[in-house]
Amino acid sequence: MPPIAQYVFNGVVTGGILALPAVAFSLLWRLLRFPNFAVSTYLTVGAYVALVLNHGVRASIELAWLGALVVTGALALLVDRIAFRPMRDRRPFSLAIASIGVAFVLENVVRFVWGNDFRSYDVPVTRGMSVAGLRIGRDQLLILGVAVVLMALAQAFLLRTRLGIAMRATADNPRLAAVKGVPTERVIALATLGGGGLAGGAGVFLGLDASIDPLMGGGLIISVFAAAILGGIGSAPGALAGALIVGIMEEVGMLVVPPTYKTAIGFTIILAVLLVRPTGLAGARS
Amino acid sequence: MTTMTRRELLKASGTAGLVLSAPAILSAQSKEPIPIGTLCPLTGAGGSYGPDMQRSVVAVVERINKAGGINARPIQLFHEDDQTNAEAGVRAARKLIDVNKVVAIVSTWASAVTLAVKPLCVEARVFVIGVSGADSVTQGDHKGYIARTQPNTNLQGRMYAKFAVSKKEWKRVAYMALQTPYAQSFGDAFTGVLKAAGVTITDSLIYEDKKPSYRSEVTRVLATNPDLIMLEGYTPDSVVMAKDIYRAAYKGAVLAPSFAINAKFIEGVGAEVAEGIWNMDRAPLFDSPAYKEFSAAVPRGDQSPYAPQAWDQMTLVALALAAAKGEASGTVIKDNLRTVSNPPGTVVYSFADGARLLGEGKKINYEGASGSCDFDQIGDILSAPFSVQQVRKGKSELVMIINP
Repeated sequence: MPPIAQYVFNGVVTGGILALPAVAFSLLWRLLRFPNFAVSTYLTVGAYVALVLNHGVRASIELAWLGALVVTGALALLVDRIAFRPMRDRRPFSLAIASIGVAFVLENVVRFVWGNDFRSYDVPVTRGMSVAGLRIGRDQLLILGVAVVLMALAQAFLLRTRLGIAMRATADNPRLAAVKGVPTERVIALATLGGGGLAGGAGVFLGLDASIDPLMGGGLIISVFAAAILGGIGSAPGALAGALIVGIMEEVGMLVVPPTYKTAIGFTIILAVLLVRPTGLAGARS
Repeated sequence: MTTMTRRELLKASGTAGLVLSAPAILSAQSKEPIPIGTLCPLTGAGGSYGPDMQRSVVAVVERINKAGGINARPIQLFHEDDQTNAEAGVRAARKLIDVNKVVAIVSTWASAVTLAVKPLCVEARVFVIGVSGADSVTQGDHKGYIARTQPNTNLQGRMYAKFAVSKKEWKRVAYMALQTPYAQSFGDAFTGVLKAAGVTITDSLIYEDKKPSYRSEVTRVLATNPDLIMLEGYTPDSVVMAKDIYRAAYKGAVLAPSFAINAKFIEGVGAEVAEGIWNMDRAPLFDSPAYKEFSAAVPRGDQSPYAPQAWDQMTLVALALAAAKGEASGTVIKDNLRTVSNPPGTVVYSFADGARLLGEGKKINYEGASGSCDFDQIGDILSAPFSVQQVRKGKSELVMIINP
């Protein structure tokens, strides 16, 4: 087996987890016109919601995952109402700073309630299987499968449903959409709910794959940011492709640079995209 | 009544101290107690270790004083709590040095505290000895006023390697370490000993903290077919790493420090993933007569990893003072530490035996409860016993003691 295939597969799994928050981050950016850095903290919140369900009321991990999806979506909506809605007409920069503030607050609430220690779900770790010389973990395969299905659903929603089309219209030109009778605030609420849910679900995946701690989501923000920029802001398929590429490059990059420089790969991608093709892969004119 | 300002009092007592320490009048003052300070963490992160260390020091001093003291002078102990905090440690050390005029501070714990009080002690010529592990503790120009009974990372690396070499089935060894200030020095010592013993080092990898997965790090290391993975990290990253190693269907052995493979780790990965993981820790010298005396004198002292070291630290300071025949100062302790602790000399296991032989003009070599207590030029110990544990059915069990 050429070892590079194994690194590529590892990268695909990492990319699958990254894709969910990257899509949420990208769509919300396009819709609300500011990068919402709190999205990465929604991962942490989602992971802890599922932990409470899994440990507290002994819910199965599947049920806990659904619970995390719903609760984190609702929390994102609440945060939008309290923090971002009153600032809707401010400049993007102010909103981006506000989102960093929200991330700090949420992270420290988690810290205050559950402490700094890491936690794990009540789910046994399973041995991976060997397929065509590749080492493939069952959990990883499941995570990847669910991520792909969620992505497909999100894309179908955007392309096929009335609300999805309204959402794209608002993203393209909010004033024109409002004039044409699109209920802008409802569209924003729905996108926030969905984006928060996606991020929360990804947090549970991350907790299953690694472990749960208050900094888990925040540590991912550079990779999520890189994936969204690479994909082109506002494009769901672009964010998915961007996440996969970032994931694969971080893992395959280990063949070239020492593992201690993993984080630097995300930064390098952001820099390269902004220099060479600022509109990203999906290439929409801004 | 005349009142004295604080400054005048300090001046006066400083002058008194100078006068008292003049050798010429020492014989007249020979019943004067020798002041020694303890600076253990009674509260804070080290709060579960400090009280046992202090009890250990007190037990040694009680035995010495009961038997007539050091060259007929009793020891007077002053206790301070460093709160496992460098700033509180410095304040406490200032008080011990300026007010109590101690000649030595024994049993500091956290590296941060030891490093913070080190310059004060060097400047005031007060000897300090502790259990702090960071390499920087004994580095720099400290003129010999500092020593420790905790092994530095080089010695730790060599002891881990000694165990790995003893397992003949481990022919190919990979080293994985979290990016820390000691990852490199530990790794160099560890792999150096193994290479010299003919073991192949298949990979040496330093990984970043706080990564969502270590799959590709594990992929790279497993591609080299190791029989043993030496995993030098802390608990949170070791959890993620152990899960990924297990998922990758690795069938070989894993060795790690016990401070990473703790109860929290086993709970985090589950008993099945943790099963069979070897882990090592600094151990006392269980079969030494000094250890037997220590465990009889300090109830429950055997529960504490640092109490035997505190016992040895106080004993060494007392022996070094006894060797000076009269003068009591930090300088004579640092000058005599190696003459009472290192070979050549008759091996002794207690202050009483050591002091008697010193009185007869003989050379001695103290062997303690925590190890043989031999020091190098910068104040690091040359050897220490280590315990080897293995996780079996969700619990770390003692397998053996590796003696130097």
